[in-house]
Amino acid sequence: MRGLAAGYFGKQVVHGIDFDVRTGEAVAIIGSNGAGKTTLFRAVAGLLTPMQGRVTLGGKDMTRRPAHRVARAGVAYVPAERHLFPGMTVKTNLVLGAYPHRPDHETLELVLELFAPLKARIHRRAETLSGGEQQMLAVGRALMSKPQLLMLDEPTTGLAPKLAKAAFVALDGLKQKGMTLLVAEQQVPLALSVADRGYVLENGRIRLQGTPAELEQNPEVRRAYLGVA
Amino acid sequence: MKAVILDGILLGLAFGLLGVGLTLVYGLGGVLNLAHGAFVVVAAMVTSHFISAGQPTALAAAIGVLAGAGAGVAVDLTLMQPVYRQRGEHRTLLGLLLTLGLAFVIEGLLNWRNPSGALYIDVSGNPVHILGVAESAGSLWASAIALATGAVLVAFLAGTTFGRAVRSVIQDETGARLIGISPARVRTVIFALSGGLAGLVAITRAMTAPVTINVGFDLTIFALIVAVVGGLGSVGGAFLAGILLGIVNTVSAYYIGQYITTIVLLGAAALTILIRPRGLLGR
Repeated sequence: MRGLAAGYFGKQVVHGIDFDVRTGEAVAIIGSNGAGKTTLFRAVAGLLTPMQGRVTLGGKDMTRRPAHRVARAGVAYVPAERHLFPGMTVKTNLVLGAYPHRPDHETLELVLELFAPLKARIHRRAETLSGGEQQMLAVGRALMSKPQLLMLDEPTTGLAPKLAKAAFVALDGLKQKGMTLLVAEQQVPLALSVADRGYVLENGRIRLQGTPAELEQNPEVRRAYLGVA
Repeated sequence: MKAVILDGILLGLAFGLLGVGLTLVYGLGGVLNLAHGAFVVVAAMVTSHFISAGQPTALAAAIGVLAGAGAGVAVDLTLMQPVYRQRGEHRTLLGLLLTLGLAFVIEGLLNWRNPSGALYIDVSGNPVHILGVAESAGSLWASAIALATGAVLVAFLAGTTFGRAVRSVIQDETGARLIGISPARVRTVIFALSGGLAGLVAITRAMTAPVTINVGFDLTIFALIVAVVGGLGSVGGAFLAGILLGIVNTVSAYYIGQYITTIVLLGAAALTILIRPRGLLGR
């Protein structure tokens, strides 16, 4: 991403953001509510047309591509609202994740192994799942496309602390398998626990960046996001 | 009584076929196509033209169905484009206005150029007895086509990759985009399908009664009632609502009188919506 700017109805929310994610890396975008994390993600995923700047994926220009073409190019975005298909079964949601291809058996098995609770509910409709299960399904559906980059916006939304922790353990597992991750999260300690690098977003601009260790030592981060005086 | 119910079911299958084209387009794009009945008339006139030109009925009917599909694609790619750029209520309202305008234009053009146009397809064959009730061959053919179409549609939506993609756009458009589905392309295909279904309505209706150039608005209204009662966006709902309303129609026509059936139908529809605002199988 180079000099990315985006917003809604002509009102700019994020300004001139530069950041990059390398293959196999886990990058955290941290920031409070309204810092622009979601706007940034939506612009990268093609749900929002950037006002300025460029988005590239492995050298290919993704700027102004509609969302479905960004998705087909290998970017899987899991928004905080998940956008599952409520009336379809867990299985159908997962199968559709591989669209336009038929899902291969190994990927499906892999996802069900990673998110074991889904296996028991494979024929239940998505709307009957608990919040945690829905989050698993959303990430599982995204994985079905075997993406080059998995973007997660606030994966812990609506999850109890224990489940939030479990979610990040699962993400760490994905990272170990070589998945490239971009995660936006308000729960900074969790985000930094899986990240190789982090960016702190404030009022739509990148305020700080660095490794988790560097960010944890930064007095501003400690005060504002880690609750340490 | 048995005969009345059976007649109702046969009529209901026709209602279902009529409502399903409307419900699919609404479910996908949030557009209530008020020109749906006009599509039926267009397909009927095309079929009638080719029959008069000496083509075999089956071929003429196939061309008529294709003409309906073509009309659907044309409208989706032109008139509907500004509509899809709108969201929510604005989209629904603009869609209503533009398709209403289109319906007027089509009916006006036909009144001007082809005022006496009508399609009637004579299905030869003796009445067939079902459960001891005699039904005309035309009505049975029409019902069989409607039933088969409904079954194929359900199988298509449930069992094919593209069908699942269609349902995903109906259930969550953003979610569909995020997994690589282009809602615009799905909408175009479904508009074509809807137009083709309007063509099938023309053909099947013509097997029992003439389809004249001025039936468009009546058909649209029936399609609306069926789609809303069944639950907008639900194929199964459209056929279920069609059959229930078909029975209501024939029962009230038989026991009260033909003059009252439309009022009873509208009453039944209003009652359903009061009790179950999402319609029978709507979500």
